[in-house]
Amino acid sequence: MNEKTRFMLALITPAALVLILFQVVPILTGADASFRNWTLHDPKRTWVGFANYLHVLRDAEFRDIVLPNTFGFMIATVACSLVLGLAIALMLNNRFPGRWLVQSFVLLPLMVAPVIAAIMIRWMFNDQFGVVNAALEGLGLAPISWLTQRWTTFAVILLTDVWLWTPWFALILLAGLQSLPPEPFEAARIDAASAWRTFRYITLPMLRPVMVVCIVIRAIDAFRTFDIVWTISGGGPARATELFSIYAYVEAFQFLNLARGSAAAVIGAIVIVVFALLLYRVLNRFVEVSK
Amino acid sequence: MTDIAAAPARSVGFFFALAPRGKAVFFALAATAVCLLFAFPVFWLILTSLRTGTGVYYVHRGTEFTTDNFHEVLSQEIVLRALFNSFMISTLATVLSLGVTATSGYMLSRFKGPIPNAWFSLIYIFRCVPYVAWVLPLYFVTQKLHIFDSYWGLLLPHIAVHICFFSWIMKGFFDGIDPSMEYAAMIDGCSRWGAFWRVAMPAAVPGLTALAILCWLYTWNEFLFALILTAHETPILTVVMAQFVHELGMEWHLMSATAVIALVPALIVTLFGQRYVIRGLRI
Repeated sequence: MNEKTRFMLALITPAALVLILFQVVPILTGADASFRNWTLHDPKRTWVGFANYLHVLRDAEFRDIVLPNTFGFMIATVACSLVLGLAIALMLNNRFPGRWLVQSFVLLPLMVAPVIAAIMIRWMFNDQFGVVNAALEGLGLAPISWLTQRWTTFAVILLTDVWLWTPWFALILLAGLQSLPPEPFEAARIDAASAWRTFRYITLPMLRPVMVVCIVIRAIDAFRTFDIVWTISGGGPARATELFSIYAYVEAFQFLNLARGSAAAVIGAIVIVVFALLLYRVLNRFVEVSK
Repeated sequence: MTDIAAAPARSVGFFFALAPRGKAVFFALAATAVCLLFAFPVFWLILTSLRTGTGVYYVHRGTEFTTDNFHEVLSQEIVLRALFNSFMISTLATVLSLGVTATSGYMLSRFKGPIPNAWFSLIYIFRCVPYVAWVLPLYFVTQKLHIFDSYWGLLLPHIAVHICFFSWIMKGFFDGIDPSMEYAAMIDGCSRWGAFWRVAMPAAVPGLTALAILCWLYTWNEFLFALILTAHETPILTVVMAQFVHELGMEWHLMSATAVIALVPALIVTLFGQRYVIRGLRI
């Protein structure tokens, strides 16, 4: 081993040690646990093969509620925050008085803890004392008990997530917009292209690579959303708004069956890795074609 | 005159044709709407935290204000301990993660070959694995190592989370720094470590600052790891805050006061550290 190799290994050793001990080992432990009987009356932890996986996949709760919820939530939150974020980025890309002020306000949700955001929104949508229902009453409408029905709860959770993540899209897309070359825009102005056509045929195609990266990163993160759902609804009412990470947590820590929770987590991990690869492929091809 | 102007204002093209004033008005409205949407929940939270225990139920009406909620929250021992723990964990996690990933990112940026390639694929794959697949068994691993519910038991997993993403970003920082200065230093008799520590690191300080701010805030705001990996010995602010909802029967005035205290670092960064955060967000 020469001096250069030793230097390279020394540079990564601390990171590699922590990574192996606190990420690789737990993931392997979890995978091992998911093949065993982890209930309290079986201290030997008998090997049961795929029984836990089959149980999760056959569970109507998982199949009919958790999976559609997770994917629906992921698609809805990415789509809404992408569109809103793009609109805000386009607005901030202009010079106007007070621009820095608007940018500060846009930055705010990025700094706020998701748990705090969830608490704020939950309080605003409180059915008796919330400001939203007070506003509805002020307009002469009937108050809605937001957090007792499946779809309104889902909408509140979605709103929280969009509030939290739109700024992230806006700032990254703004950085992307500012790094675009000015020449095509000047040419479009000389040709008297309308604002919409300039946006549709110049800005959008040129921004697509940045958008692809944003969508992939955000979709992966949205898939594993935990804290805002846990704080707003706890997966309720009656487990109707559980996402996949809440399901795994509830199985493992409330029904005290770590094996089943781990099996659910492994299934989720496989789904998201495959999904991420496919998504990246599809979006990438989309970019190639558009060039 | 107003009749003529009002009719075509319906179509977007004509609306913008009224420029520059029509466009300016449109802009002002959109900008105000954006500010309101993003600021209102935070404003409402602060307002709630300033109302008395009974006043929170008519926040939008009454005019009584008080700072008693803050006094009451800050006199609770668990909140004080949680504040201190959250602060210590965030600071230590930032220092240690940056220390560990600066070397790893430097290695990825400056060397080519099988070892850097293998390391890069490893962190790339582990970036995709969802937290739940890993935090459940982490509970058992920390218990086996007898560090469950202690500083190390929360710190080390936090560093592990950051390794994949930060190594990647650090590589970007070092890619942007010209290596010829390091070669010059080595020709003049500097060791490899010396070139890294005395030449490359000082040049990476702006990037490191941005990353440090984001890392500190991320750890301060984190919830899932804190929920699973700590119990009574090491209370963490985000978890303590969420427990006001579930156990103490919705004491909204106390909870919002705690949340406002937890928001202070975020507000400071928004006001003074914008530049760094925006730089740190570049992909």
